[in-house]
Amino acid sequence: MAFGLGIETAEEIVDAVAARGVERLDLRAVPFIDPYALILLVLAVRERRAAGRPLAILWPEAPAVRRWMTAMGFLEAVRDKGGAGRPARGPSSALQPIVEIGDEAGVGRIVEGFDRRLEERYPLGPPARRRLVGVMLELCQNIPQHANATGEVAAPYGVAAMQDYAESLVLAIADNGIGLAGSLALREDRPAMDDEAAIRAAVIEGWSRFADPGRGRELQKIVGTVRAWEGTVVVRSGGALLYQSDRGGDLYRVPRFPGVQIALRIPRRVFGVDDLAPEPETVFNPFDE
Amino acid sequence: MNNAVFSVARYGVRLGTRSEGERARLDLIAALAALPPAGRLVVSLDGVEVLSGSFADEAIGKALQLLVAGAYGDRTMILRAPSADRTEDLSDKLEQRKLAMLCVIDGAWSIVGRLAAPLRETLARVIERGTVTGKDLAETLGIPANTCHNRIRRLVDLRLVRAEETGATAPQTQYRFHAIWRPGD
Repeated sequence: MAFGLGIETAEEIVDAVAARGVERLDLRAVPFIDPYALILLVLAVRERRAAGRPLAILWPEAPAVRRWMTAMGFLEAVRDKGGAGRPARGPSSALQPIVEIGDEAGVGRIVEGFDRRLEERYPLGPPARRRLVGVMLELCQNIPQHANATGEVAAPYGVAAMQDYAESLVLAIADNGIGLAGSLALREDRPAMDDEAAIRAAVIEGWSRFADPGRGRELQKIVGTVRAWEGTVVVRSGGALLYQSDRGGDLYRVPRFPGVQIALRIPRRVFGVDDLAPEPETVFNPFDE
Repeated sequence: MNNAVFSVARYGVRLGTRSEGERARLDLIAALAALPPAGRLVVSLDGVEVLSGSFADEAIGKALQLLVAGAYGDRTMILRAPSADRTEDLSDKLEQRKLAMLCVIDGAWSIVGRLAAPLRETLARVIERGTVTGKDLAETLGIPANTCHNRIRRLVDLRLVRAEETGATAPQTQYRFHAIWRPGD
């Protein structure tokens, strides 16, 4: 790979990993990686290891990318369950290194960490920051609540990470669970659905696996909020991917991958901090609009 | 009026998950149950920076559902918040549950959740007057008595207005209707 890996191109990772016979992923020429691509890499490495087909990664040659991946805790995150969330090493331009999301009791502490880092970088405390923290609370708790609702995933886990750039902030969250279709299949009063229909049901129509009228609509609302901010959203589940930006979007069929992966790219201006310079090493995001 | 205040900030400033909301709901319904008849619980969001929809639904939405179902007699519950953005996610959840709650921000009331415009208009009149009879209210609003009766019954069912029997029973039981909040409360 000789291109930046971000929201628009991270599918290349899944394509490569899904291909038969691929034993290593060559990232040497990769000039940029964002948090979404990074946590897809984490999931890919861990899933391949769990399946007994380890995946080697050829480390990027660009020093800034290597330093950033190290600061984000990539090496710790790919090792074993529980590895993510340990202190990252090296010079840190990372806004929020990879954290592992386990049970619901830990969600508050994780989101508090995200909020603290946001507050350090965006000290103005506008409603948009509070809104983003609310989004994180919903996304993070979805993992313990839904990712292994059937109990069929042997070693369930979730990871999240965040980084800011000159024009935007990228938040990514992922799990290796049963996916939206698996979760919604628990509703006996709803028809079984494939991955595309499940994304449509959860994101467009606001369905939940619970019949309680107070449940559901969280993903729908999150996507609506990010669109209102003129940001970009990716929701990937199983073999389907929803991409939505301020210019529109669509559902796509993609190679199957376990769990749900979500990325939000939010313009910096919603935080009212156009005039704050980001960390020099992460100033350039080729996907910034 | 017998009041009590339930501070949501005791559970933290960024709230939170469904399981945290469930614990808060147990305390909230205990506070409701401890009120005297016709008592009012003020659920305060003062000090809360973020109130997620999940926490809000589990703690407040479900408690309000029980209240509206009649589990706590004619006790009522209102919301006090430092700003409207703290109540947005709760409002969405109440709307999903087809519920509404009176919310006070800086001494002014609004509704979180779902309440049709004619019901808001009726509620505004009750709040203005403090206490009214159905007949007075129909005259004030300039609407037929039956229409007014339907509106006020719905507000009473939603626990946005409290009904009190006047003692007169002919030709049917007569009620006075009380605002559950008034400016200056």
